[in-house]
Amino acid sequence: MQAGLMDTYRRPLQKRGAVAWVLCAALVTFYLLVYYTDAFEGPARRLGLGDKWTLYGVLYTLAMVAGGIYFLRRHGNSRYQRVRTITVVAVQVVLAFALPIVMKVLGRQEYYFSYFWPLKIEYFYPSVILQQPFLIVIYSFLGSLVAFPLVGYFLGKRFYCSWICGCGGLANTAGDPFRHLSDKSPEAWRFEKASIYTVLGIAVVTTVIVGLNWAVGRQHPSFSSFAFGVQRWYGLVVGGFFSGVLGVGLYPLMGTRVWCRFACPMAAVLGLVQKFGRFRITVKKDMCIACGNCSTYCEMGIDVRAYAMANEDVKRAACVGCGMCAHVCPRGVLRLENRPLRWKAGQPIRVYAVDL
Amino acid sequence: MHYVIVGNGVGGMEAALALRRQDGEARITLVSDEHDHFYSRTALMYVFAGQMRVRDTEPYDRGLYERLRFERVRERMAGLDPQGKSLRSEGAGTLGYDRLLLAVGSRARPAPWPGAAGSGLHYFVTLRDLEGLDREARPGLRAAVVGGGLIGVEVAEILLARGLKVTFVVRENWYFPLALDEREARMVAEHLRAHGVDVRLGVNVEEVRRGPEGALTGVRLGDAPRAPAPLAPDAAEVPCDLLVCAIGVVPNTGFLATSGLRLSKGGAIEVDEALRASAADVWAAGDCANVTWADGTRRPEQLWYTARDQGRVAAASMLGDGATYRRGTWYNSAKFFDLEYTTAGWVPVRLDWDNAPLDPGPDVNDWFQRSPGRFDSQRIVCKGERVVGFNMLGGRWNHERLLDWIDSRRTLRFVLDHLAEAQFDEELSPRWRRQPAAPST
Repeated sequence: MQAGLMDTYRRPLQKRGAVAWVLCAALVTFYLLVYYTDAFEGPARRLGLGDKWTLYGVLYTLAMVAGGIYFLRRHGNSRYQRVRTITVVAVQVVLAFALPIVMKVLGRQEYYFSYFWPLKIEYFYPSVILQQPFLIVIYSFLGSLVAFPLVGYFLGKRFYCSWICGCGGLANTAGDPFRHLSDKSPEAWRFEKASIYTVLGIAVVTTVIVGLNWAVGRQHPSFSSFAFGVQRWYGLVVGGFFSGVLGVGLYPLMGTRVWCRFACPMAAVLGLVQKFGRFRITVKKDMCIACGNCSTYCEMGIDVRAYAMANEDVKRAACVGCGMCAHVCPRGVLRLENRPLRWKAGQPIRVYAVDL
Repeated sequence: MHYVIVGNGVGGMEAALALRRQDGEARITLVSDEHDHFYSRTALMYVFAGQMRVRDTEPYDRGLYERLRFERVRERMAGLDPQGKSLRSEGAGTLGYDRLLLAVGSRARPAPWPGAAGSGLHYFVTLRDLEGLDREARPGLRAAVVGGGLIGVEVAEILLARGLKVTFVVRENWYFPLALDEREARMVAEHLRAHGVDVRLGVNVEEVRRGPEGALTGVRLGDAPRAPAPLAPDAAEVPCDLLVCAIGVVPNTGFLATSGLRLSKGGAIEVDEALRASAADVWAAGDCANVTWADGTRRPEQLWYTARDQGRVAAASMLGDGATYRRGTWYNSAKFFDLEYTTAGWVPVRLDWDNAPLDPGPDVNDWFQRSPGRFDSQRIVCKGERVVGFNMLGGRWNHERLLDWIDSRRTLRFVLDHLAEAQFDEELSPRWRRQPAAPST
């Protein structure tokens, strides 16, 4: 449960005040420079960090560590939030930052063990994955095609989106002050459903084209140049612009999960699995007082309150299981659970009296 | 058919939605001078704190009224003529109806103390109250919050969070005896004091002190009846810049005085089991309706949950469905600063209005335990062998499960063996355990 009150809307940075627009512009500029220019190559070398991507990794990891400390001070009284936050920061520090650097130092091809296809689309590109040792190829394919659907079925997409993934990790640490800015409107929900599955479709098609090119590209040079174009554009538009420039740049204006909610192909796959899986947010019957804390602090823009008022468990493909709706609920109405069925007596409360 | 609903709170809105579900054609008018949209009054404290905006406390999108063709009259009603089937507004307009639901709710009980009227006096029930308190509550000021109920503790929390120095004045010998026993209340007081609230128990406000210009300067306290210890002379004067009166609410029925509707002594609208008032084609629901409780007494139920249920029943009754309102087994929830509270079933009140102990009756026993060193307790009320009620503080509990055990007449031993199954805390929270050698009284 939440300890103390938040003064979110008393802070200009957190209510889309001028300073929030300035921060947004700064983040967008930073990402444009990182992704599309070499402006950070110089500073990276001067700092002894090799290239701009290593510098970016250092900054990203520092932001998550500092943000994680901020988050734990705010919500660390809950063991779920404590364990989750420490886990997602540790995964970033070890698997997504330290290990790839160690691999590079040891003269091996770097590999990010916490990222999988389709989020990391190149891990299904034959030219990329076949440079890795056989065990890593197996790890990558089993992870994407077997482990993810299976674990997602039993635990919900949160196991990845809120416990492992670096995008979700940044959102839930450094991004926490902005989580309430997500758009809760029905229009946003409609847009989200259209956009996220479109991007998933594009990711699958891109993977197939690149795979085909690896197999038959040599015989068909025109197809080959088309495939390279597709691969390049996917990287520039989806990998760079959506996930970086918009995904993080819009934190101060549209909340923390713009990329996860509207575009991430991994979230799309796991959401479909979750819809048919065991994870749900259980709603305690007839106990909601409609205050709206849950909906306000849902970073995925889910109107949790509407479910709580209707006594309906929340089973939404979008939910990343961060647990904040349950955490901020002042009446303990919500609980994240992985269970095949509701407790049997889960009908609306019968009317009876204690006869004494 | 023209349905008019006076009151745009949870009772009125639930009734309007239920009416529209059953009757797509009817004209439905909602009357309120407070706000254009239905909002959750229970969330006022979060708006004050900055945790939410008023917009966030509105459960429905703003297109709802248009979509469901709810007409709005943004005026305060000044009178009702049940024979002529019309309402009179303060602006002297009239509004006719075929069937009328009065869901006018409560207003704050006015401060009764000498010198109370004037600047610096606040209540915390409506959006206007919120605006007034928000304007004047500046960090560093001293505030006295009077009234040991739920609004009192919420106001103490939000003022403290804003950086005011808060004195919490409670007439009863322990906080919230309507719901808590002495051990539980002591724990809550300990928790409030740990946050820095100056909690004063067993004291009355005798007088509100004002300076030469009428400016609020403080309150003078006196011993409440049966106070455990007389007030120390230097503790009687509490200097303050703000005074928040949270000593309960009264039905908002002043405008019905000349209507001929039968009202209770406290001003609540007398209704039958179908929530019909004493005049034809008039119904009442929520805080303003005098209903029969499980123990046979007639009182208003000033709760979110019951207002919601009564609004639905009133709508069915207005549609001629023969619906009746029958109070189910009691359950409720609250939060005292960081301590969540769940109660279910029958938990007898142990202290009356004048601080005299109340006998719960023969054969009533409590099982109680508090986790050592933590703000966390469970109380199970038994009548003989049978469990009849729960009072749970600190953790989260599934009231459905607790009510089910009461309903199926479970024994204390059974309930203690299964209590952990009713835990509703966030995942990874420690499992509830019975303390070794837990004392039972």
